[in-house]
Amino acid sequence: MALDFGILWQDGNLPLLLQGLWVTIRMTFLALILSCFIGLVIGLGSMSKVKWISGISATYLAWFRGTPLLVQLMLLYYGLAISLHIDFSASVAGVLGLGMYSGAYVSEIVRGAIQSIDRGQMEAGRSLGLSHWQTMFKVILPQAIRRMLPPLANEFIALTKNSSLLSVITVAELMRAANTIVADNYKYFEIYLTIAIFYFVVNFVISTLIKILERKLNVEGVRS
Amino acid sequence: MIEITNLDKYYGSHHVLKGINLSIQKGEVVVIIGPSGSGKSTLLRCMNYLEPIQSGQIMIENEPIGMIEHNGKQREMPQKNLNKMREKVGMVFQNFNLFPHLSVRDNITLSPLTLGKMNKNTANKTAYSLLAKVGLADRATAFPDQLSGGQKQRVAIARALAMKPHVMLFDEPTSALDPELIGEVLDAMKELAKEGMTMIVVTHEMGFAKEMADRVVVMDQGQIIEAGTPGVIFTNPAQERTKVFLHKVLTHS
Repeated sequence: MALDFGILWQDGNLPLLLQGLWVTIRMTFLALILSCFIGLVIGLGSMSKVKWISGISATYLAWFRGTPLLVQLMLLYYGLAISLHIDFSASVAGVLGLGMYSGAYVSEIVRGAIQSIDRGQMEAGRSLGLSHWQTMFKVILPQAIRRMLPPLANEFIALTKNSSLLSVITVAELMRAANTIVADNYKYFEIYLTIAIFYFVVNFVISTLIKILERKLNVEGVRS
Repeated sequence: MIEITNLDKYYGSHHVLKGINLSIQKGEVVVIIGPSGSGKSTLLRCMNYLEPIQSGQIMIENEPIGMIEHNGKQREMPQKNLNKMREKVGMVFQNFNLFPHLSVRDNITLSPLTLGKMNKNTANKTAYSLLAKVGLADRATAFPDQLSGGQKQRVAIARALAMKPHVMLFDEPTSALDPELIGEVLDAMKELAKEGMTMIVVTHEMGFAKEMADRVVVMDQGQIIEAGTPGVIFTNPAQERTKVFLHKVLTHS
């Protein structure tokens, strides 16, 4: 049988998909900001000399990296609501779930990049009378961020793809929009191919933006 | 100026500094020499507490750095006080350790600005005058990786001086340099010595030691084995180990 992409222009299917795409972009973007924040805190925490801080960070990483995202989302949205009466809306649970999961991976990116900076940089900062944190924020992190960008591009792309799992906790994002449409018309190939292309374009934009950012940071100084 | 008493340092079970006693006067240029692994760099790094110590005391201008007495027990001093103490002690590293993401000027002004020691205007002026002093007035806007090793080290000296330290520590400042670039760094250091800066220099440059040192300290196996004027140490050392060491370094240079 022939493919029929004309289906996109029927029954308001395309607008529904575009609406889903917009939700996907919004959720992914918010989760991305959350994951950067969590990643920085947990990443710095994991290097702390204070035992309980590094302990919490290690536990966070082990838990969120060691359990499936789908299970985490189920716990967060259905589990908490039904057993503990902590009732998040689907989008809040979605952003939290994605952000906390991805934050674990970002924390390892942060830690790896910071530890790759020569120890002499911290020593030079400290010898000039700067505190540990002043040196961290003025000397170490500006150099480390550049090294984080390539692995962060990977992580953000994974985050975008993982956002399709939010369909199971009723977030009306791209995947769920597609599911709704195919339940009606059985045009699996046409609809799923369309959203695959949408996901691809979003991820292509992310990797391009990060490449531009890398180049910009290069021009501004660090060529080490 | 600097008073080191009964200093002991271990790396795990390895005893790297054994009961060091050393007293350095204001304006003195002290050069520490000795075979590699003798603990001379470690001793220098203890003087601004980049290396923690296990026992003993280091006083700078009659104030302890690193460890303090607290309720009869030795403990690490609060970070705030440690940072304050470190402002008095400038340090120049073997590998320069310039900040590669900052211009030469910003390398120099970072610390005075971050710590609120100077406003932007004064800091920049200070940076330019220090750069002029080390002969690099025209490189203020360059980035570290655009400089030669000798230029990098001179910037590092200027950066340390920007904090107006009372004493300067040099940790093998010319060891990472190509031979033809060593002179320009030594010249900058000589200039500084002539101005009366208190300097402690770990180096293999025996020429610098002969010419500039008020006192040469010889270390071996974690101990100071002797100390004296360059005249005495280089011509008539008391210790056999000093003779052996000097013979090795001087016959090849």
